[in-house]
Amino acid sequence: MAKTYDYLFKLLLIGDSGVGKTSILFRFSEDAFNISFISTIGIDFKIRTIDLDGKKVKLQIWDTAGQERFRTITTAYYRGSMGIMLVYDVTNEKSFENIKNWIRNIEENASADVEKMILGNKCDLEAKRQVSKERGEQLAIEYQIKFIETSAKDSLNVESAFYTLARDIKAKMEKKQEASNPAGARSGAHQIRANEQQRKPTSWLSRCSLL
Amino acid sequence: MSRSSSAEDIPDQCKDLFTQDGVLLKACLGRPVTDLNSIGMLCIVQNHDSSKYIEWRPNDLITIDSDTQDQEWAVVNTIGRRQRTLSGNMTSDYATARARIIKIPIDELKTFRVTRNNQQMQFSTKPGVWQTTFYFQHGNAEIFVAYLKNHVKTAKTRHDRNTYVVVEPNIESQVLNKSFAELDIFTENTTDVVWNLVSNFKQRPYETTLEAFSKLTDIVYYGNEGMNGKRDVSEEVADLLTKSMSAMEDATTVTKNEEYEVISVKPTLPPRPCIPRGTPLSTEKWEGLQDTEGRVTEVEGVKQLIFRGGVAHSIRQSVWKYLLDYYPWHMTHAELRQLTKKRTEEYFSMKLQWRSMTEGQEARFSEYRDRKSLVEKDVNRTDRTHPFFAGDNNPNLVVLQDILLTYVMYNFDLGYVQGMSDILAPLLLLLGNEVDSFWCFVGFMDKIATNFDMDQAGMKHQLLQLQQLLTFASPALAAHLAQKDSGNMYFCFRWLLVWFKREFSHRDIMRLWEVLWTSLPCANFHLLICVAILDAEKDILISKDYGFTEILKHVNDLSMCLDVDKILSTAEGIYHQVVSAPHLTDQIRIILGLPTLGITTSSQSEDEELATTSTAGPSNGYTRI
Repeated sequence: MAKTYDYLFKLLLIGDSGVGKTSILFRFSEDAFNISFISTIGIDFKIRTIDLDGKKVKLQIWDTAGQERFRTITTAYYRGSMGIMLVYDVTNEKSFENIKNWIRNIEENASADVEKMILGNKCDLEAKRQVSKERGEQLAIEYQIKFIETSAKDSLNVESAFYTLARDIKAKMEKKQEASNPAGARSGAHQIRANEQQRKPTSWLSRCSLL
Repeated sequence: MSRSSSAEDIPDQCKDLFTQDGVLLKACLGRPVTDLNSIGMLCIVQNHDSSKYIEWRPNDLITIDSDTQDQEWAVVNTIGRRQRTLSGNMTSDYATARARIIKIPIDELKTFRVTRNNQQMQFSTKPGVWQTTFYFQHGNAEIFVAYLKNHVKTAKTRHDRNTYVVVEPNIESQVLNKSFAELDIFTENTTDVVWNLVSNFKQRPYETTLEAFSKLTDIVYYGNEGMNGKRDVSEEVADLLTKSMSAMEDATTVTKNEEYEVISVKPTLPPRPCIPRGTPLSTEKWEGLQDTEGRVTEVEGVKQLIFRGGVAHSIRQSVWKYLLDYYPWHMTHAELRQLTKKRTEEYFSMKLQWRSMTEGQEARFSEYRDRKSLVEKDVNRTDRTHPFFAGDNNPNLVVLQDILLTYVMYNFDLGYVQGMSDILAPLLLLLGNEVDSFWCFVGFMDKIATNFDMDQAGMKHQLLQLQQLLTFASPALAAHLAQKDSGNMYFCFRWLLVWFKREFSHRDIMRLWEVLWTSLPCANFHLLICVAILDAEKDILISKDYGFTEILKHVNDLSMCLDVDKILSTAEGIYHQVVSAPHLTDQIRIILGLPTLGITTSSQSEDEELATTSTAGPSNGYTRI
């Protein structure tokens, strides 16, 4: 059976309630925006396959409920994620301050080498801005994490944010692969998925076609 | 082992062939009034001489076995020996309670009837006199009838289809009059069997005991067909079981071993009854159920009707206030007017608390600010596609927000938790009135308060209970989920947090909620709703071998594709299956709020563990025969 992708990356969107995680995901997966999204209860994910340097990369992006109370449930889904988008709202100071807490949360629950990126969302709302771009950049430097301001509403930088994160994961993976296997075999993650597909050909592919 | 006696030493060697809980003694000739109206269980019991009788036992007789640590004996108890009613000493209380047992020999039974919409059953051993009357709390007398009909041959009378006449002394009892030896279970040389049993018992007391008893109880529970041929024991028993469980796949596995044969039986549930939904509670009926001053007199009856068919839309505004504990059922119109006045004042004084807060106060009150910010965020994304909440500057959004902020003041410690706006929106939509919506919201929140625990303990507990129920009611699916790392049932989180609000349309969620608010037919019926939905998806989830992510996706995608009436009907069917299962455990009884029997199984010690450790394994397949 023909493969529909070369890599599968599991990504995660985290951040305070109402910063726009679902909107960012919706913009990226459906290229649409709706001012009246419903709040996320529990957890959900969406899928989009992108082309990255000639490779098909399937991104499975998990969207979580933001309220702190639900964290004991949502952190159960951190496992196995290869990249995490930390989202704050530039019109909400508190959500920015909480990025530090979210980073601590990742350190406790996700794998140590997970790729991270900070997104300052709602940058279209210049009049309501509480967090300057410089402060966002400063925080990113402090934690040595990439940073970009986005607007899910105006479709600004959402695409490039996911491409950047995916490219970084791919590079890290290939580097690791080369180091452990100089003969140049393909990535471990990819191989696991390929095997899984042979074993149960209907599962992933049939779901993909629906998504 | 302190109690060294073998099963044969138990003085009262009777076996419960069937038991049903929640049965009140309503009337009995020759009994003092004090004995009446006490709750107990109605059983079909087989005596040591194989004669059978219907027996009612008061619940205070059924004591918890103090010896639950003794696993081997706890297991023996589960197969229905009378042992469990003894908790060590035969106290005088116990003797008094025993005197209250009612026995009706099945041989003497002449007629019985079911009345009051499956809530009442009467028995007679003499023509023209109903000697005993029982009330079935759960309105499920039909289940008892179904089992009773396995033991007596009956005909319905022509003039009353609810009355059954016993037509002849039942033949089956004669068959069962034979001793177990005569039943010819062991076709090998009896001495060898006994010797094997003894030697195996020394080496593996646990398995051997279970093996032996499983054979016996299988006969008791599943009949004695196919026992005549001279065949291999395992073959015969397996065959017999397969016949009786033909509806279930994979029900029986026979493991051959050099030393002995373990017949592993996955206990199965009785067939699922198909219980049609009823019609909604109508205006006429509702008015008829109130007295002239407005008191609702037959509360249980009202709840039964609502459970069966919901509430007609035209009277929801009124009925919901009762269901959500805003209006007490017993109050007159005049008293309700007083109450409404008082509650209105109370509401507005709490509303004033946050409305009168100055900007400066708010700036120095971060805990309030945090709550307010969460409310504002969620109000703007609650049911905005519904016309009632759609559009910019919709005044209904302001009311939604005001109620939620007032609730923050009403219960500041709980504050605002995501999901609350989902709970409130349908109430406001229906009631339209701010004060009524608030107090109904308070009533609903009281019912689901643990959903919003800071540490989510309530949600985790429910998810664990759901996993236990599913393991009992749909073991194959539970095993699949456990195998796919989904045994923690987190994928049902949204269902439980907001009581399926996100899964159904507004119209359907009103129906589902009003049915669930009745708290019928048992505690935690909403978990059985989950089981019903999952059970319907079982074939897809298993046959497509869905894994962790696909299970979550599939379940999330069920939203707005579910048929509320079908699910309610299925859930009720599953309820009847579960409560009439011979292997019903205390663990399940506790979840459903049924009286416990003090029976402990090995899986019960796992109560405290998280749902991630599944109890669905073949290892405990035979402990619950």
